[in-house]
Amino acid sequence: MSSSEQQRASPGADVFAAGGEVGRDLATVDWAATPLGPPEGWPQSLRTTVSILLSSRFPMWMAWGPQLTFFCNAAYRRDTLGGKYPWALGRPASEVWAEIWDDIGPRIATVLSTGEATWDEGLLLFLERSGYPEESYHTFSYSPVRDDDGSLVGMLCVVSEDTERVIGERRMATLRDLGSDPSVVRTEQEMLAFTSQQLGNNLRDLPFTATYLFDDNGNARLAAATGIPAGHPAVPDSLTVGDPCPAWPVEALARGESPLVDLTGTPFDGIPAGDWPHPPTQALVMPLVQQGSAPYGFLVAALNRYRPLDDSYRGFIELTAGHVATGIASARSYQAQQRRAEDLAELDRAKTAFFSNISHEFRTPLTLIMGPVDELRGRLADADPQIRDELEIIHRNGLRLGKLVNTLLDFSRIEAGRMQAHYEPVDLSAATTDLASVFRSAISRAGLTFEVDVRPLPEPVYLDRGMWEKVVLNLLSNALKFTFDGGIRVSVSAEDRYAVITVADTGVGVAEHEMPRLFERFHRIENVRSRSNEGSGIGLALVQELVGLHRGTIVADSAVGKGTTFTVRLPFGTAHLPKDTPAPANVNSAPPASADPFVQEALRWLPAQAGDEDVREQSPQAPAAESDQRAPNVTASVLVADDNADMRDYLARLLGSAGHRVAVVGDGQAALEAARTGNPELIISDVMMPVMDGLQLVAALRGDPRTAGTPVLLLSARAGQEAAIEGLEAGADDYLFKPFSAAELLARVRANVELSRLRTGHARWRTALIDSLQEAFFVCDEDGAVIEINTAFTDILGFGPEDLPYAPIHPWWPDAVTDSDAHQQVADAFALLTGHTHGSYTIPVTHRDGHRLWASAAFNQVQDPDSGRRVIVGTFRDVTAEHYTVQRESALAALGLRLSRSENLTDALSGVLAELRDLWQASDVVASVFDTSTDPTVTATDPALRWENLSERRRQALLGLRDKPLLTPVTERSSGAGITLEHPHGTMALWIGLGPARPFTEQDETLLALLAGHIGQGLRRIAQIDQQRETALALQRAILGPAQLPSGFAVRYEPATRPLKVGGDWYDTIELPDGRIGIVVGDCVGHGLRAATVMGQLRSACRALLLQDASPAITLRALDRFAALLPGATCATVFCGVLDPETGHLRYSSAGHPPAIIADTDGTTHLLDQGRSHPIGVRPSLSRPEAEHTMPGRATLLLYTDGLIERRRQPLTTGIERATAAIHDGRGTPIEQLATDVMAKLAPAGGYDDDVALLLYRQPGPLELEFPAEATRLAPVRTALRGWLNRVGVDPATAQKVLIAAGEACSNAIEHGHRDNPGRIRLHAAATADDLRLTVVDNGRWKPAQSPANSHRGHGLALMKAFMNHVTVTTGTAGTVIDMQARIVP
Amino acid sequence: MTSTLTLTAGHRPDGAPSLTAVGEIDMSNAETFATVLADAVHRSEKKPLVVDLTAVEYLDSAGLAALFEHAEHIELLSSPLLEPLLTVSGLADLVTIHSQ
Repeated sequence: MSSSEQQRASPGADVFAAGGEVGRDLATVDWAATPLGPPEGWPQSLRTTVSILLSSRFPMWMAWGPQLTFFCNAAYRRDTLGGKYPWALGRPASEVWAEIWDDIGPRIATVLSTGEATWDEGLLLFLERSGYPEESYHTFSYSPVRDDDGSLVGMLCVVSEDTERVIGERRMATLRDLGSDPSVVRTEQEMLAFTSQQLGNNLRDLPFTATYLFDDNGNARLAAATGIPAGHPAVPDSLTVGDPCPAWPVEALARGESPLVDLTGTPFDGIPAGDWPHPPTQALVMPLVQQGSAPYGFLVAALNRYRPLDDSYRGFIELTAGHVATGIASARSYQAQQRRAEDLAELDRAKTAFFSNISHEFRTPLTLIMGPVDELRGRLADADPQIRDELEIIHRNGLRLGKLVNTLLDFSRIEAGRMQAHYEPVDLSAATTDLASVFRSAISRAGLTFEVDVRPLPEPVYLDRGMWEKVVLNLLSNALKFTFDGGIRVSVSAEDRYAVITVADTGVGVAEHEMPRLFERFHRIENVRSRSNEGSGIGLALVQELVGLHRGTIVADSAVGKGTTFTVRLPFGTAHLPKDTPAPANVNSAPPASADPFVQEALRWLPAQAGDEDVREQSPQAPAAESDQRAPNVTASVLVADDNADMRDYLARLLGSAGHRVAVVGDGQAALEAARTGNPELIISDVMMPVMDGLQLVAALRGDPRTAGTPVLLLSARAGQEAAIEGLEAGADDYLFKPFSAAELLARVRANVELSRLRTGHARWRTALIDSLQEAFFVCDEDGAVIEINTAFTDILGFGPEDLPYAPIHPWWPDAVTDSDAHQQVADAFALLTGHTHGSYTIPVTHRDGHRLWASAAFNQVQDPDSGRRVIVGTFRDVTAEHYTVQRESALAALGLRLSRSENLTDALSGVLAELRDLWQASDVVASVFDTSTDPTVTATDPALRWENLSERRRQALLGLRDKPLLTPVTERSSGAGITLEHPHGTMALWIGLGPARPFTEQDETLLALLAGHIGQGLRRIAQIDQQRETALALQRAILGPAQLPSGFAVRYEPATRPLKVGGDWYDTIELPDGRIGIVVGDCVGHGLRAATVMGQLRSACRALLLQDASPAITLRALDRFAALLPGATCATVFCGVLDPETGHLRYSSAGHPPAIIADTDGTTHLLDQGRSHPIGVRPSLSRPEAEHTMPGRATLLLYTDGLIERRRQPLTTGIERATAAIHDGRGTPIEQLATDVMAKLAPAGGYDDDVALLLYRQPGPLELEFPAEATRLAPVRTALRGWLNRVGVDPATAQKVLIAAGEACSNAIEHGHRDNPGRIRLHAAATADDLRLTVVDNGRWKPAQSPANSHRGHGLALMKAFMNHVTVTTGTAGTVIDMQARIVP
Repeated sequence: MTSTLTLTAGHRPDGAPSLTAVGEIDMSNAETFATVLADAVHRSEKKPLVVDLTAVEYLDSAGLAALFEHAEHIELLSSPLLEPLLTVSGLADLVTIHSQ
């Protein structure tokens, strides 16, 4: 700082001390001229802010005071202020930044008015700090600054300039986009369009561009332009050399210069401005440099007028032009290659087309050469060796030519898109192993090792088998051809989503320069050692095409002298295949490809072996080719079908000599049958045959699952491709035209057999497996037709595979007519089979020889993986023995059950017959017992059947059986079966009537004999039991009570313990000598047999005692003493009474027994509860009371035991009341009916659970008179009736009417009765509470019509009707019944 | 045994001829009754015969038949016991009946 400056410095300028040069310049500002005044007068806030500003190394500027006076620091001066320093210091900010005040003024105003800071990032500002408006970018913040008193007085700006960064990034983006062309190669035009798009995106650095390309004359043509419309004078379409005033300096550019052009002058009027307010003023033109040659053209790049053309800008344009030049170079080079490739392909196609066309023409003469040559080779086998050698040469070359022709045809098919690939899932490992093995012997004969390293693949590969065979065989053949030492190695493995197959050899290898042409058609590598000079150079090309059809790749890796490795990659899955082409695996449908030509060809490369001669000698008559003996020996069972006997013999001899087992048939039908039974490994069939021709045979074979897989080789005299295609389409595996060579036939036989064995290995394994099953196995189609069976099936049913398919109704079904039940069973099972997804059943079936079998089958529905159709797979066992065992056991069990449940012989026999009927579903079963009665006793399933209404035929059958030996079944066809057995009452003949539809088999007879034996034993046992039971019942009845009751009594007895008929309760009536009746009802403790025995003794004792002394009390006392001696008798309760039926007087005594009940006719009821004392035997010494009651006429008496009235959870009185009500309500009911009613009414829900004895008596008892039909008997009858009516309590007038009515009825009977032989008349009279009923019955025969003299008889009937309420007269042959009723009016 | 029947012919206190029956008349003795009745009717000449049935305990249709035969020549002396019978049979409509 100079002293003069020091002097000029204002006092207080120490505020700028920290500011360095800027501070010094600030100090020199004439602050007094500014609104801030001299620094010494500045407020503290300003001073502080200024010192912060000056000490910061970050770019800052500040505006303070009313004019926003400008301050800044050194960093700001350097980065941003530029040429405005130091002029700007102390000036108003709006003056300092006038050019951008429109941008920043409003921001500062906002800060000062709101006190909130602003933030801007990368803001474009056109600063004029270098003498022109400059594109610049700034990131800055304006912060408010406050005065000492806190008021807003200015703002502070912290700023960083981003110009270099922003522009650099923009240019980099353009260069990056130029380099980001996604396509590898494109045409020049495409490349320029892409480039233009990228350049047009940056109109700041490149306001417009134009790309010119030179033509051969050095003239330039506009190829692309950006940012400027086409046709603008600045970018003319062409620039000619020699133009005096070109828009662009063409000639300089052609020399590779890069001139800077000022955009002034006419052509540049109105040029576009790009992204800027004003158009560019200069353009840099860059040549599009071509390596080692004149430039392709040049790039015009208009320049951004707001930036200087510095190194960075120039570099950017150079790089851009370089990109364009590179693009043009690459496009032009690609175009050139493309053209070259197309030329080559065209050549290839022409060559293929040519060969294909002539190949067809070759085939015919080739066949005509090969046939005769073969013939000659056979015929001249012993000829001059020189002749043979020459023939061999012709033969070999013929074969070679044939193979070449076939390959060429393959190509032409591929070219024409006619190669129909049949993709199916194939186990590539297995398929490749099998193919490789075909070559093994040839390779080992060549002295090479052969390694096959095959890994199982995770999934099948979709392949066309035929094509794949060609691929592998070609590669192997190729390897063998060029390998002399070491070996060949084949491997299969999985890698990612590919199956990888390599064929590697240690052969001569391929030179590096030959590698690119390895797969080229017709390209042969010359001057290389090989086993043969043969070769068309087409095999590998075909391999590549075929692999390509599978969307696979093949690459070769080779080194001269080391060997070659071919690697084929095939994708897994089906996604890469054309839609709908993958087919399910089907070993039969793939067209065959014979490995033989390859192997034969390979073998021809190898030296002949000494052993060959021996082989030839072994089959002197066979004109077999030498190659046949060299091949691995394959023998098979071959079926030959030809209608020409000579041809058959020839083929048989030829095939036999090669070791095959040959069967011959004369037509297709015979062949089909032989194929089904014999299951040959190969069928050779002529096409033209009678009955069934070869094509039909193939179709039939393919349609049968058993023969679908058998390979068929068709022979035909019909030459031509169409015939072959027809045969192959029908499903034949191979096709051979006549005449054919023996060698070719044998080779094809072997090839087909081998391939078939490879393919059907699993099928044969399955067949062997199924045939080894002990259970019968069958497969049904959807309709239930049996289409496949195994050996066990035939063993069990007798039906063999020769007649397959067996359509329903299958021949083993039982006959629908003669055995309809069994037939129905099978039909039901069949419905199950075809209608359900799985199940099992047991059915009767008929063996082929007619005998009955039982089969237990189980089945499952499955989807046929080939056809997708539903089939049913089932197995069954012969369960005949088990079936009959079960039938026997269950029949025996059922019979046993029947017999054990039966109470007597009749029951047992009926049950047994029903059981037999059910067992055999018989129409009827009849048993006749030839006992002592006149007619045999018949028991039948039809209960109405008797001997007399049996059919004569059946009678004869039964009579016939009687004389047969016991237990020997007799079967009568279509009628039934019978047997004789022992019935306890005599011989029993048993006949089972069967419908004609139910045969009675041997097993049935055995079963019948067995059952009959059991029935005889069972019946005998039951007879014994029956006897015992009847004895027991008689004994029980004896102890129960009197068989005959006095009239007027009704009783009921219900023992609690079944099947006993007696229990602990009893009732008794004893007719005493004086006409009175002893009545006893008692109840011993407990029930069952034990109580019954006690009861029997007490009853007898009581009876005896009453007869001795007719006093109830005395009787009971005596019983007390008796009971003391009788265990179990104590505590029995007894009601004992003596009734005078004349008077209704009853004397009674009760030993702890429930009271008797009396219901009078007027509805009054009485309980006879007097004369009561302790139960029997409790206090033998105590006396017993007696009571009396007189029953009026028609009163009803009820005696009972507690079983009738005692109910759980009910007082005894409730039961007594219910019994009382029942008697009361039933006093108008006849007592038999009343007894039934009472028992029913009082019965608990589940029946009586205790012994019940019930005794009813109505006073008086009914009157029963029987007397001869004589008039003299009328008076005593009247007397008796009058007395009874009196006891009944009928009034005299009514009694008189009844007497007259009864008298008339009796007179009538006497009158009409037979006088000479008088009949008898019975009169019965009974009373209820309000009703009298009289019945007069005579048994005399009625005399004919009455004489008029006896007309008073008419009065008799009139009187009866007049005096009685209801009169019916029933006259029958046995007599007349007169029934009369009268109501008793109380 | 024949039913007990006693028949006594005589005159009523008023001089009218009478036949008095005591006992039972049924099929076994109706013929006897008919014969005696016919004889009594015959002997009573033109005067009505009074048949006294008050002591008859039983009379059936056979006895009634005999009475019907002479209905025009007889009068009856009856008891309540026989009344329903005579009424029902229709004899009461033909014969004068004197109740006792």
